Formats: sequence, structure tokens, C-alpha cells
Amino acid sequence: MPARQDNDRELIRRAQRGDPHAFGDLYVTHAPAIFRYLFAQLGNCMDAEDLTGEVFLKAWQSLPKYMERGVPFLAFLFRIAHNTLVDHFRQNNRLEQQAPDEMDGYHEDGTPEPVDTVGKLLEHQKILGVLSKLRPDYQSVLTLRFISELSPEETARVMKRSVGAIRVLQHRALAALRDELDEKQ
Amino acid sequence: MRIERQIEKIIQEHLPDLENGQETLDAVLEKFPKLANELRPRLEAALWLRKARFALATRPGYIHDSRKCLEAKIEETQPRGWLGNIFRQYTPQRWVFNIVAPVVIILLLALVINSAVLTARLSIPGDPLYSTKLVLERTRLAFTFDPGDKSNLYMEYSRQRTSEFVELVLDGEYDQLPAATTRLEAEIIASLHALNKISVADATSERPATAGLHDTLSNEIAMLRILQRSSPPSVYANIAQAIQVAQTGLMALR
Repeated sequence: MPARQDNDRELIRRAQRGDPHAFGDLYVTHAPAIFRYLFAQLGNCMDAEDLTGEVFLKAWQSLPKYMERGVPFLAFLFRIAHNTLVDHFRQNNRLEQQAPDEMDGYHEDGTPEPVDTVGKLLEHQKILGVLSKLRPDYQSVLTLRFISELSPEETARVMKRSVGAIRVLQHRALAALRDELDEKQ
Repeated sequence: MRIERQIEKIIQEHLPDLENGQETLDAVLEKFPKLANELRPRLEAALWLRKARFALATRPGYIHDSRKCLEAKIEETQPRGWLGNIFRQYTPQRWVFNIVAPVVIILLLALVINSAVLTARLSIPGDPLYSTKLVLERTRLAFTFDPGDKSNLYMEYSRQRTSEFVELVLDGEYDQLPAATTRLEAEIIASLHALNKISVADATSERPATAGLHDTLSNEIAMLRILQRSSPPSVYANIAQAIQVAQTGLMALR
């Protein structure tokens, strides 16, 4: 993680001087985690892709004001992602978003999509179905820790809680998830 | 150590091996018998989440494509001056294009201008580029400051006018002959004026210049006389007028 932060620091410095390619490198490093975080809470892949782009564009706009001061870049990005997600849910009806897409598994013209894509969609809907039953803070902690692979310290910074509070939250969230999985089965 | 912290530590340490299949859940639980009841559901849930990661992964090529898109959007939002626009960061292909395109355009432009100048120089009265030829001659004269060189240029242009006159007769462009005679007269007068300026400025270089103009006019008269003999009678008067102009110049020189 320190190596990643060092590399980030140099890229951030260049991006702050207006180098879009340095920011592109930061995007390549962190976009997969941001995407997974968003996709775990959104109904479809397209929305997650759009919001990932939006998050990084907002990050670019806020970059001149960004100063590390103990907040790693990844935490900065996830805060933007969290706010973007909240805005998205405010603009759209969250329940509607989380309902399985009626077209999933089929192209617009009605032809079926490849089996692996359909399998992935079904898996995604299952994950979404289970996670959506949990409390929002449980969802956030589990998504950040296990799907976006943030450390407890980074998760604490994103969620603006202490590391101890994150541990307790994660402990309870994992138990709640296990119960939910049992219920689903 | 609090139980949450202990379980967190165990999950962090053993989850990668559990995910890779290098360790079983029961084997981990056997290592921590006192925590087994608390640990089992949490490890199972954590394992399920880690596996869920793959279903939530980006589609192939998305990161690469969207990076380009993001960089393009950023470039659009960046305010730039005209200098910034010239030196903005492009792809190598774009740089090559930016350098090669103006060079090719300049080369093509030079080729077109050069061809136009050559065509203009070979033109005769009545050709579309003849006026360009006259403009080029005037320009050259305007940038020639030495009286001797200027006199030589006038003599050269006088020979050109005679050659044009001959070509017009040979091509049957008789309606252009009066204007050509007028232009020949103007060049001869200008040559004489230039010669006067040399005599005022430098008497030693006057003699070769006078001899040069004398030869030029004599040759022109001879050429026009030959032309007169081989031309149809309808153009005799025009050629005779041109000969007279040249002879007047010769007389003035004497």
C-alpha cells in the first residue's frame, strides 16, 4: 500500500499541474475498485460505467483543491463516489434502480446474450438482492472492504469513522450478510 | 484484544488462501477453536463477497476505452491559450500529422507558385498570366537599386517585348500587336532614362551600358525586319511601327 501511495503521489502532482495522462494512469489504477463499489449498489452495468466516469471527472475538477494531509487519494475518490451515488439515487428512484432489469439476459432486439454474460448478470442480481437487504452502512462497509478491497484505515476515512468503529461495523455486517444468505437459500 | 479485532485479523490473514483453495474453512476454524462459532459465519460471508467481486468486475477493454474518453473530456474542459493549443500534448501520430501536414502544404504551395511563375514568364500578351509576368518584372525592378543593373534589366525587358512581338506575329495574334508595340516603346524609353541616370552617377560605366543598348536595339531592328519579310502584308504596318520605335530609340541613343 505505501508503494501504491508513493506512485499515486507522483501522479497526483503531475495531474495537479494539468497532465491528463497522469490522471489517466490514476484512473487505470483505481477505476476498477470504484466501478465495483458502484456496480455492487446499482441495477445495471451502464449506470456503473457512467457514474465511474462522472466520479473521476469530479475528482479531476476537485484535484487543485486536493491536499493529501493524511487522506489517501483512494479515500478521496471513494468519498466522491459515495456522494455521486447518493445524488444518483436522489435523482432516480432507488427501488426502481434495484429491481432486476427486465431486459437483462437479452439484447434489445430480443436475441439472447452469450451464456457467460447472462451468468454474470444473474450473479450480479443475486449479489444486489442480498446486499440490498442489509442496512446502508453495512452495505458500504462490506462493499468497500471486500469488493473494492480497501484497508480498514481507508474504509474508515471514506466512511468518516474511526478504525475501531469500522471493525465493529464490519463484524456485525458480516454476520448480517451470513444470515441473509441463509434466508436466501 | 477485542473479538472484532481478532476476527478481522484472522479474516485478513486467511481470506486470500481460502479464496485460492490453499486452505479450507474447517482448517482455519480448527486453528481458532474458541472463536469458531463467531468466525464461521463471518468467514463464509467474507468468502462469498470476495467471490462476488468477479461478477462485479469491469467488462474487458472498458478501463482502456473509458480512459481515453476521460482524457478527451479533461482536455476539452482545460482552458488553453493559442500557444497552449499549439503545444498541447498529442499522441505521437497526431504530432507527426501536425508537423507533416504544414510541411506538405508549404511544399505544395511552393510548387504551385513556382509553376505559376514559370508559366507567367513564358506567357505572351493575351495569356491569362501575362499581367502576372508584368507584375513580377515591376517587382524585380523595384528591388533593383543599382542604376547599372536597372539599365540591364530594362534592356532585358525590351528584348522580351520584341520576342513577344515576334511570337504574336507567328501565332497570328495580330490584334495584340499595337499594345505590344506600345509596351516595347515604353521599355526602350525606360532604358534610355536608366542610361541617363548612369551617366550622371558614373561616367565610366555609361559606355558599356550604351553599347549594350545599342546592340540590343540593332538586334531588335534586324529581327523585326526579317519578320516583316516573312509575314503576311496585313501586319506590315504593325511591324513597321515596331521597327520605327526601335529606330527612334537608336537615334535617341546616338
